[in-house]
Amino acid sequence: MQEDKIIELKNIEKICGDRKILNIDNFAVLKNKFNFIIGGNGSGKTSLLNILCLVDQDYQGHLYYKGQKINKEQQNLELRRKFSVIWQDPYLYRGDVFYNIALPLKLRNINQNLINKKVKEIAARLEIQNLLEQSAHTLSGGERQKTSIARALITEPEILFVDEATTNLDEESIQFFNSHFADLVTDEMTVVMVSHDRRQIKQLADQITLLKNGEIKTTKKLNNFNFELFGAGIESPIVEIV
Amino acid sequence: MDYYTDAIFRALELIITLDSEVIQIVTTSLKISISSTFIASIISIPLAIVIARNKFKTKKFINIILNTLLSLPTVVVGIFVYSLISRRGIMGELDLLFTPTGIIFGQVLLIIPLITALIRNVIFSMDEKLYKTAVSMGASRRQKFKLLISEARYGIIGAVIAGFGRVLGEIGVSMMLGGNIKGVTRTITTAMSLETNKGRFAFALALGIILLSLSFLINLITYYLQEGKNYARR
Repeated sequence: MQEDKIIELKNIEKICGDRKILNIDNFAVLKNKFNFIIGGNGSGKTSLLNILCLVDQDYQGHLYYKGQKINKEQQNLELRRKFSVIWQDPYLYRGDVFYNIALPLKLRNINQNLINKKVKEIAARLEIQNLLEQSAHTLSGGERQKTSIARALITEPEILFVDEATTNLDEESIQFFNSHFADLVTDEMTVVMVSHDRRQIKQLADQITLLKNGEIKTTKKLNNFNFELFGAGIESPIVEIV
Repeated sequence: MDYYTDAIFRALELIITLDSEVIQIVTTSLKISISSTFIASIISIPLAIVIARNKFKTKKFINIILNTLLSLPTVVVGIFVYSLISRRGIMGELDLLFTPTGIIFGQVLLIIPLITALIRNVIFSMDEKLYKTAVSMGASRRQKFKLLISEARYGIIGAVIAGFGRVLGEIGVSMMLGGNIKGVTRTITTAMSLETNKGRFAFALALGIILLSLSFLINLITYYLQEGKNYARR
């Protein structure tokens, strides 16, 4: 059965200075699936994610959302608001945790009562309800990441992008992430995840794409993915060593 | 020694008794300085953001000019604006010379480079993730701008206060464009210069104490905004 492609990239080239950091002929994100992008440092994973989530619109080539070409010259605000991103090293704005989680809804002019309700709900699911009044700049690494996950999920995005969310976290926070993440994502959500964590990949992945030197080496389903390829450009997964 | 102690006591007496002439001079000074700082800030804040956040061919050149203008002598601004607003100048018909508006015009030109350069540095040093996160949260251009201003607010306020301090203490522009007219364009610094020449040392000293106190207050506020608790939390 043909699977739905929610985002498609065609003939993408991204050049930084005089270096081509991405060169992708074709790539598709499958709808309602966990799409993993893996590769070594400098393989272009984050650059690809930035293009997919419309944070970076400075590239050559074409991007399609549900078959429709995205105009890079426009803000694409409506489309961007269907997406959310969890960054590796999240930026939290001045203010308390509540403010940070509520911010995406405020940007969408959502009614304050609904914001209050949604923030409390998502904070409870991530077990950070006791941090809501705390200044965001006093949080630990794990608490910061939980706050950023809550901020990304509060809009119930159609596509959730995750950029190595657990790389900078301690083992306890990684365990929390791995055991809760699948439950936090709804069936209607599409996930694009950049990760080094073999445990995460084995647990969640539907499709795995391996990048090397800005080019796609292979895109396979989890069952067909040869994990020996980890040696072809991916560092030993830290988690398994721990 | 009596000369000094008498002058200090007389100066303090003028301040404590709220001498009407002192009050009028201080009020004029504050009105002019606040107006020029306000106008300069409205121009400088967006200008600094444009310079800090955009790539354009003349950016390096503009930054060099901006840094050069930081040390602009007040009398140079005074001469330049004088040539514009004097009777034979291209803006002579507006009758701005020897008016508070004339001083404000000159002071605005004086502090635009200062406020712009300081805010440019604040914006430039802000974490790039701020913008990336704003885009990924679905912020429009206007919302991104508001978030940026909000995140940089302590630095921006610090820059505006520095500009205010500069105009409050300058004499070149006020003297050349204001003419030191009593009750109209006589500011703290021009009055101090005049009264000292007239031999009213205590009066000039009273104004000096007020100016110093205002400078202290400005620096205190700037310190708390940039180095205080909120800044450390950032």
